[in-house]
Amino acid sequence: MIRPSEVLFGFLDEDAKKEIRRALLKAVALPGYIVPFASREMPIARGWGTGGLQVSLSIITEKDTLKVIDQGCDGSVNAVNIRDFISSVTGVPETEDTTKASIIQTRHRVPEHQLTEGQIIVYQVPYPEVLDSVEPDTARQKEMHANNDYAKLWVLLYEDTSQFGDSRMASGYPVAVNDHYVMDPSPIPKFDIAKLNNSQALHLFGAGREKRIYAIPPYTKVAPLTFNDRPFQVEQFPGKACERCGCRDVFLDEVHLDDGVHYFCSDTFHCDTVLNTRGEGHAA
Amino acid sequence: MLLELEAVSKIFGASCGACLDLTGEPGAICPDCGSVVAVNRVNLKVAEGEVLGVVGESGSGKSTLLQLIYQDQPVTAGRIFFNGITNQEGKRQDILTLPATHKARLRNRDMSMIYQNPHRGLNFNFSAGGNIAEKILDTNERSYDTIRSRALHFFTKIEMPPTRLDDYPDAFSGGQQQRIQIAKALSSSPRLLLLDEPTTGLDVSVQARILDLIKALQREMGFAMVVVSHDLGVINHLTDLTLVMKSGCLVEYGLTDQILEDPQHPYTQLLVSSKL
Ligand SMILES: Nc1ncnc2c1ncn2[C@@H]1O[C@H](COP(=O)(O)OP(=O)(O)OP(=O)(O)O)[C@@H](O)[C@H]1O
Ligand SMILES: [Mg+2]
Ligand SMILES: [Zn+2]
Repeated sequence: MIRPSEVLFGFLDEDAKKEIRRALLKAVALPGYIVPFASREMPIARGWGTGGLQVSLSIITEKDTLKVIDQGCDGSVNAVNIRDFISSVTGVPETEDTTKASIIQTRHRVPEHQLTEGQIIVYQVPYPEVLDSVEPDTARQKEMHANNDYAKLWVLLYEDTSQFGDSRMASGYPVAVNDHYVMDPSPIPKFDIAKLNNSQALHLFGAGREKRIYAIPPYTKVAPLTFNDRPFQVEQFPGKACERCGCRDVFLDEVHLDDGVHYFCSDTFHCDTVLNTRGEGHAA
Repeated sequence: MLLELEAVSKIFGASCGACLDLTGEPGAICPDCGSVVAVNRVNLKVAEGEVLGVVGESGSGKSTLLQLIYQDQPVTAGRIFFNGITNQEGKRQDILTLPATHKARLRNRDMSMIYQNPHRGLNFNFSAGGNIAEKILDTNERSYDTIRSRALHFFTKIEMPPTRLDDYPDAFSGGQQQRIQIAKALSSSPRLLLLDEPTTGLDVSVQARILDLIKALQREMGFAMVVVSHDLGVINHLTDLTLVMKSGCLVEYGLTDQILEDPQHPYTQLLVSSKL
């Protein structure tokens, strides 16, 4: 058991934090551009959010309030582990309330509540390089980013549209940031892409295994790659609503049970909020 | 002129500074530093719609010359001008001094290259249509319907059935792969088409059909071509003008008919007598 008194604030030593902050500053200055950093060993296994964790630990201060979600859920084992760890090495308060958190670490979702100025959302990223799917050579990738040459990604879209009528990319859909760098927004659903555009919050992306950091500063244009005669289609749940709170305009999880398919809010805090306000409404 | 090369050179290796003068027709390897002078101060002009052949023995620098024009390789020295590329004062500008994105635009929109090896010219992870689409996307077209119909248009131009547009290059024969390269290359309506041994290694009958196709498309669309070939038959079939290269140097240049019938340079005489 690690107690705050036994370790450095934020677990990482100051040199490590400084290096990550430098990478973050560069990333913020070049929206969507991938910046390398020296990923440290963390007390959780790589591939379990070590990139996001290191980013969070580098920026967190005593004044912060922390929320951690995994696929929208505050209560999942991974989210709880990461939240408890950060809290244990910093002593900062934890919350499930999206509106009260100053730092939100997330895997695969953007919360339904609109993020506001001053909030920072930290994404755990498995595969940071959007061009990996079309170009294995890293030197070529760099050149393509520098020359704003994303024709090969567009070919993927062309092929999917020709063969399936729409893009098959369900998550991690490529987005152009600030009309220049195209980046992988981590495996969030297409449903969440619109939340990145002109967002009031700061979005930071950390890939631990790949040792990469990138960012979307507040109020930045973020647009999915789409043909101008094929509108961007997000996941839809026609006729479906959350069985718990009744919401329709949110991202729903499909849960397969013995008696068939059930639908629930993927964002558990949002679901609880809707239920609670309705409860209060009934009580009044 | 559509294209002008002025004293264009390419040296492979760390040059001693005197390589260009120390090498030439007798040999391309610098006796001082051992660098290879693949292209040695070549001057060249290609007019709009003109078809130029490049012949010469293996290693004489033909492929390198094409790659320098297409910006596949950095040029060691010299200047290249392309019609319409001007500076702010409206004077012609050496394309080698353009910023990378402008260079890419020129290469993507105004030039195309067809390689001997289809693995170089095509991406085997993309369908035939995807490969053609890539070239159209390079021109910044972003309407799916326009891209699709353009890809289909050029796919049928190379006499392929529309039903095969979404098949992958592996599923096509060598000759068909070369046709797909042609469709891809032409889909951006380039002003200059560069061909590096486009039919070498193919069956003679397949070769003849592809050459006829290239010739017909060139007449119809009017682009200029630079065709590299070992095969004087190919040069004779396709080109109006021919240049002969030896050890990186241009040793003879003139009308193709004249060069094949009455070669002046001893090396060309040897080439013509041995290969025709
Ligand atoms: N990337 C490279 N690095 C070093 N030397 C090279 C490179 N590419 C070409 N060369 C050398 O430059 C010279 C010209 O080569 P190039 O491929 O242009 O000749 P070519 O006329 O096209 O020959 P071929 O008829 O065999 O295709 C050769 O000596 C070759 O070995
Ligand atoms: Mg060659
Ligand atoms: Zn709900």
